[in-house]
Amino acid sequence: MDFAWSDEQMQLREAVKSFARDELNVGLKERDKRGEFSRDGWLKCAKFGIHGLPVPADYGGMGADPLTTVGVLENLGYGCRDNGLVFSINAHMWTVEVPLLDFGSEPQKRKYLPDLCNGTLIGGNAMTEPGSGSDAYSLRTTAERRGSRYVLNGSKTFVSNGNVADLIVVYATLDRSAGSNGICGFLVEKNYPGFRVGRPLEKMGLRTSPMAELFFDDCEVPAENRLGREGAGQSLFMHSMNWERACILSNAVGAMQRLLDISIRYARDRKQFGQSIGKFQLVGSKIVDMKMRVDQAQAALYRTAWLSAKGRNVYLEAALAKLTISENWIRCAEDAIQIHGGYGYMVESEVERELRDALGSRLYSGTSEIQRVLVASMLGL
Amino acid sequence: MTDQSATMSILKDYILVEFLPGEDPGHLTPSTPLVSTGILDSLAMLKLVAFIEREFDIPVNAHEVDEEHLNTLQSICALVASKRSLVR
Repeated sequence: MDFAWSDEQMQLREAVKSFARDELNVGLKERDKRGEFSRDGWLKCAKFGIHGLPVPADYGGMGADPLTTVGVLENLGYGCRDNGLVFSINAHMWTVEVPLLDFGSEPQKRKYLPDLCNGTLIGGNAMTEPGSGSDAYSLRTTAERRGSRYVLNGSKTFVSNGNVADLIVVYATLDRSAGSNGICGFLVEKNYPGFRVGRPLEKMGLRTSPMAELFFDDCEVPAENRLGREGAGQSLFMHSMNWERACILSNAVGAMQRLLDISIRYARDRKQFGQSIGKFQLVGSKIVDMKMRVDQAQAALYRTAWLSAKGRNVYLEAALAKLTISENWIRCAEDAIQIHGGYGYMVESEVERELRDALGSRLYSGTSEIQRVLVASMLGL
Repeated sequence: MTDQSATMSILKDYILVEFLPGEDPGHLTPSTPLVSTGILDSLAMLKLVAFIEREFDIPVNAHEVDEEHLNTLQSICALVASKRSLVR
């Protein structure tokens, strides 16, 4: 394995870090309090090229390989403290752009990918329903073919970007008796008749990433907007989840490094009992644990991306990366608060928000428990 | 043994051990439905694809991880054969 960055990759990593630091953090505390999405930040990131990282230049993207992509996102996460904004971008990339790229027809790619890359369109993914979470394929939203259209009926919840999305990948069943083999994906535009956005959902963390319920009441979708063949929804979703597991926490590795850096700085500057608190071994050992976790997370991320670039499926590695990074991110955020003491618990310090943002990573894209089930199974258990 | 029958034998042994332990091998025929009957669920399909890639040193595309390509030993063998012909 070779994780050495080329000069070009290094320049891109540094450029995104300073772009993010300079452009994306203004007003974050207030946006977090209000649960407000930054469309300005969204468009700036699109202009920089973030949204189109994994998309070939022919469709308006950057055409970056997986390792370059995760490296850029890692540095975006270091510079941008708005974890919610980056989460929204991740949802857009891994659950809309990538499935469209790998399962979409040529006209679908031509129609949607350029505007998804330039930020004009915001993408969302609607799989989860009130009664189906980890058991995703037990969904109840139905699709029925009527002439040149499909008619969708049902509801979705926990849809990231749901209330700002222009284009949503919706999973519905054409035949419940066929179980997971009856599921199909559809590209649903927000203005299709019968599509309705429900109430916005307020979250503990990642508050700047909007989330909503969606309703489909005889929602009419043109047949040409079916994504993949009829019944291919399961493979579409598996593919989408695999990319998501592999890459969605790239920015978290950067965020962890940022937490480590501010914790080291604080432990050196903060004096108690006549010396820097970092000189106390109990504080120093927390910093060492943070460093260990950042390195573990980074190794898992790079290894998965490197293997993916070799063209092989990375089911095991992606699940392990997701599990490793999410658990380590949370532990890092907890340690950062503990090192900062009472100040770290204050909203003003902006350290407590990092823990709130990190906690969701144990839940989305498959809970930590589901990742363990997947890994155990892939190990032959 | 031809390439095709060797492939069939390797795949049959793997499926019997991993997903049908204790099953009479005679009951798993080249046309026994695996995905549509739930013998291969989503997790099992991922395991099988990882095995195919490792065992035969071929890549399997995302859209091929489905009922159409993995439903029977016959269809899996056809998938492997088509990939091998591309590698050669």
